Amino acid sequence: MAVKEKVFQYPETIKADFIQTGGLRFSDGSEVSAEEIWQFLTVEAPRRFPHAFDASANSIGRLSDDVHFFAGLKRAYLTLTMKDRLFKAHDNGVPIVMIQGGQTLDPYYAAGGIPLRPGYVMQWARDVQEGLNLRQLDAAGLEILEKGRRKISIEACNQVAAHAAVANNIVPVDLIAPYLCLRCSDMSFLVETHRYKEDQRPKYLVDFPINQTGKHYTSDYVAEQLRGLVKEIAKLSKKEVTDETLRREIQRQNKARRLAQEIIELWWSAEQPPLNSTDFFSIPFLANDFVGDPEATIQVLTETKKEVAYRVEHGIKGTGVADKAKRVFVCGSCVGPNATSVERAGAVLVGRDDNFSCNSVLVKEDGDPYRNLAEAILSFPYELPTEQRADWTAEMVKKSRADGVLFMYNWGCNYQTSVGRMISDIVKEKTGKPSTFVEVGELGRTEATEQSENRVEAFIEMI
Amino acid sequence: MSSSVTTAVKAATLDKIRQALQDRPAQIAAAKQRGQKVIGWLNYFVPEEILLALDAVPIRVGTGGDEQLVDIGARYISTKNCVFVRSVVGLLGEKKDAYTPLLDLLAVDASCLQVFRLAEVVKYYFKYETAILGVPRSFAAPEGREYFRQELRSFTAELEKFTGRQLTEAKLNSAIELLAKIREALRYLYEYQAQDYANLSWREVFEIVHAGFYLDRAEYLKLLQELLAELKTLPVDKNKIPGLQPRVFLTGSQLSPGDVKLINIIEDLGGQIIGDDLWTGLSSYLDIQVAAPTVDALADGYLARVPHAALPYLDISTDSRIKKLKELLQKFRAQAVIDHTLRYCDPYTFKAGETKDILNNAGFPFLEIHTEYASSDIEAIRTRVEAFLELVRTRNDVAGGI
Repeated sequence: MAVKEKVFQYPETIKADFIQTGGLRFSDGSEVSAEEIWQFLTVEAPRRFPHAFDASANSIGRLSDDVHFFAGLKRAYLTLTMKDRLFKAHDNGVPIVMIQGGQTLDPYYAAGGIPLRPGYVMQWARDVQEGLNLRQLDAAGLEILEKGRRKISIEACNQVAAHAAVANNIVPVDLIAPYLCLRCSDMSFLVETHRYKEDQRPKYLVDFPINQTGKHYTSDYVAEQLRGLVKEIAKLSKKEVTDETLRREIQRQNKARRLAQEIIELWWSAEQPPLNSTDFFSIPFLANDFVGDPEATIQVLTETKKEVAYRVEHGIKGTGVADKAKRVFVCGSCVGPNATSVERAGAVLVGRDDNFSCNSVLVKEDGDPYRNLAEAILSFPYELPTEQRADWTAEMVKKSRADGVLFMYNWGCNYQTSVGRMISDIVKEKTGKPSTFVEVGELGRTEATEQSENRVEAFIEMI
Repeated sequence: MSSSVTTAVKAATLDKIRQALQDRPAQIAAAKQRGQKVIGWLNYFVPEEILLALDAVPIRVGTGGDEQLVDIGARYISTKNCVFVRSVVGLLGEKKDAYTPLLDLLAVDASCLQVFRLAEVVKYYFKYETAILGVPRSFAAPEGREYFRQELRSFTAELEKFTGRQLTEAKLNSAIELLAKIREALRYLYEYQAQDYANLSWREVFEIVHAGFYLDRAEYLKLLQELLAELKTLPVDKNKIPGLQPRVFLTGSQLSPGDVKLINIIEDLGGQIIGDDLWTGLSSYLDIQVAAPTVDALADGYLARVPHAALPYLDISTDSRIKKLKELLQKFRAQAVIDHTLRYCDPYTFKAGETKDILNNAGFPFLEIHTEYASSDIEAIRTRVEAFLELVRTRNDVAGGI
């Protein structure tokens, strides 16, 4: 007997209010009205991307139940239209660039490209075929993951899937040009795998010199490489990039970073969490990754701030958050717990060292923009020597009033796991909060994730 | 030492080297008493020339093959780190061997990032004093070279402060000359052992290389020179029939002192290891040219040599690591390649498929072996190596060999 999936729907009762919020403007000058967004979210997207509307499964990427948070609907729109926008941009000659998570995107957009972290590359690749339910989507993703594992190694973390998607031309990525060595040791080796039998695709690396603190020459080194990066992208985009172009992009992206900081501070200040974990965790992602479009994303962040301020002022709690929810701070590599299952267990996610780090540093807007960018990325707290990083994390744990710290990592992540215990011990010593480790072995899967969910729930039970 | 690869005539200097190694911990303890600093180093880019010129005692840290140390290390670092890293954390934490209790400082370069993490972990948990030397990933770019020069200057200044000594041109020059002679001698030994009637096996050369991790470098050079002189006087073993054993070249992750599982299996099954490009083997002694007695020249020399696999290089057609590997295979007349990767050693593991493809196309049979320091995989590895050597033997027969 086939089991009928529970399907998520935006209720008609919110339509009129949502329409009042207006549409979105995109970086290429195009616009979409609120009516069109509504039509897409309620008619077109459920048909094309049924997996996103699966309300019964443990999808880590499921849509938020908080349908009254309208900026959240617009975020969903950006996420679900990413595929169309990327293909359109690529067809119009905009280079699509595969990058690393957690890095600054200013030089990429300034040079006329669209940067995508491995997670977004995979989302794009899985969505190439439409009409898939969650199980079919999983199968499609795992097939790509296995291609990567067969070619490269089973010991790689799940970002190997994104590299396989590029190598197998499932998505048209024009350039592979990440920063290296910040947060991840796999990235450099994975980029290198593209050199064999893939000569036609350009590649460029921006080295991140570890052991960087207090040394002026590390900024010189990174700045020089950022200049090279911009030239490499501009070769493809045919865009003339001056220092002023980059300065303007820094100003634009600082807006996003500032907004994210302000929203997080507002959220933390509230007695009751004004957004649920899914919506709250989307904020640093939006401010750092832009879902392929900074212009529209900044609008969504601006509207988010307004709505959060309103909710804080009126004591409105995010949908799905339990009363007196236990507060969990997440550390570790580029994976987080399933927000819905965390809330089901009576907790709420209050912070994440990874994404918060890259939004926590504003780039100086006057002077040499390359040097300013270099100085900013070299001071990201998550990328500092581990003892300094742990001190910053402890401060975040205190500010977010967390009850416990969850250190999560993907199978195969040896750079972050190596300091998992050390960070947890330092944070525990400085805050007195308990911590636990969870290794996520169910790479790329949304089903059968009980192993990690059980551990998260047991930890919540304990705190 | 279990081995089917033996030489009938033994060089007496080998025993002298072994004896010197026995005596070495006491010598180092005495040097410490005299005020010399003992600096352990890890990875690939720490220039011993600087340590020697600052009158420090350099020790290349790290042993392998001990499962118990792996377990101890994993309590502090992660089970997702390679066994060498876990084992060294265990070693540095336990301090039960002859050398780690003598260390005043741990100098680590950041070529392998797992080893960089190791330094952070042992500093925090076991209170080691550490000095980190950054290594550029963009090592072929001018800005990468400039960064490394600056980084080595900063590293040198840190060590000067730590040792209380000033680096002088004269001392640096002596150290550069000393190490150049050691490298030259080791390269010669590698070439010598690969000859048909050599009185030294690869395994013995590997043992000599590892002895050099600990011995006083000047004394080590004297012993090497004595060995070279002795080898010239030894009679050729006419009973030996060359070509009976498949000539195996070892590439991939490092094999540290004590990690003999794979070596034993290959030799027990009748393979003759005739060369390697391991960074605990020949690789560290190849192609370093230091043009002047300056820190900058050292930086340039170290950076220009065959790169560590942890440093990415994007143009395969000009990759000097692959080029050097092919050269060594020709030079040592290799008939087969065994690529050894430690579990979770990403730089080598991720490259293994590509290397296999390239070497297969160049006509070399290639076997990829993943190991840990556990004994549980011995039989599985034995089966694979046995089948591989059988295949190589058959291939040699077909090609008109023995």
